[in-house]
Amino acid sequence: MTSMKILIVDDSITIRRIISTALKTVGYSETVEAANGKEALAKLENGNVDFIITDWNMPEMNGLDFIKEVRSKPMYSSLPILMVTTRGTEHDVIEALQAKVNSYIVKPFTPQELKEKIEGILKTVQVNTL
Amino acid sequence: MKQQDLDNILRKVADLQVFCEYGQRTLPILDEISSFMRQISSAVEDLNAVIEVAIVNIPKAAGQLDRVTQATTQASHDILNILDRMVGTLDEVVTVVSSGMMEKDLNDATTKMSGVVKMLVEKSGWDEDIVRLAETWESHLQHLRMTGPTNNLERLLKDLQTDCTEIMMALQLEDITQQHIGAVMGTIDGVAEGLRKLTVGFFETAETRELPVSTPLPLDPELVGERERKKMVEALLEKARTGEL
Repeated sequence: MTSMKILIVDDSITIRRIISTALKTVGYSETVEAANGKEALAKLENGNVDFIITDWNMPEMNGLDFIKEVRSKPMYSSLPILMVTTRGTEHDVIEALQAKVNSYIVKPFTPQELKEKIEGILKTVQVNTL
Repeated sequence: MKQQDLDNILRKVADLQVFCEYGQRTLPILDEISSFMRQISSAVEDLNAVIEVAIVNIPKAAGQLDRVTQATTQASHDILNILDRMVGTLDEVVTVVSSGMMEKDLNDATTKMSGVVKMLVEKSGWDEDIVRLAETWESHLQHLRMTGPTNNLERLLKDLQTDCTEIMMALQLEDITQQHIGAVMGTIDGVAEGLRKLTVGFFETAETRELPVSTPLPLDPELVGERERKKMVEALLEKARTGEL
């Protein structure tokens, strides 16, 4: 088990539970949850979040606007962000990458896929900060 | 223009027609206008009836879709709760099994059993069948000692835990379906609102109403199939990594 704290942002409580369980099975047990971008920004300010997994379509503040907001703050410019969404067009992926998301998963996903993406992002972030 | 305006025009055309006929100055164009207006009026009345039915039925359909979504969400939660409990129980059993408590119990039982078999052989005066039974027991015991009694059980329990996780993962389908239903409901609401405005003042310049931002109708992905879409995502991520994007 790793001590990394992961913020899960999704308006569906089912998906939040699924992501949380999937993370536990691959060794990440510490998670915090938010139902939309606004709530997530508040959670981000409250605790030491090491990684963000966010959905795109959400009320109040969607995932893309949330990522843009996070990236606009210098202290979070290199915080790893993984987008997990049902949106799977080429245009969507490019838009997310332009908003500076680290990686992207189209639902449905498996715990193994989630693990590989997280590890891949962490490796890249480590290399970039060296 | 409203229904009332249309009726007024129709009345004026009829008056004009009467006036012209009275003055023996019948113009063919007036006949055509009159007939056209009558046709329009009847078509508008038909359209009105259809729209009124649609205005009642569309919100009902949207409400039913909403109830389906809520029921599906509740069912998913119930399933997740049960699976959570199952995984918890399996965790406890795996801990008991791997701690060797069952192995100790099994060792005690096999030692006792071996003693009984040995006694049986001696008491039977080395009866051929009993000796064969003792040999079979010994061979089974050797096999048990070699493989370890709990290994198989532990593996089976872990397989069960994996199955539980896979069922949980399959529940993602509920969210995917819900998002599509939500998008369709947004569109239906937009249509219902448009129709309502049409009946209030048809042909009037109705203000355009945008659909709720949170429920855009998803675009059809260029690639059909989960694997193909994931491949496309990976290709784009790779391009982004190498700076090609």
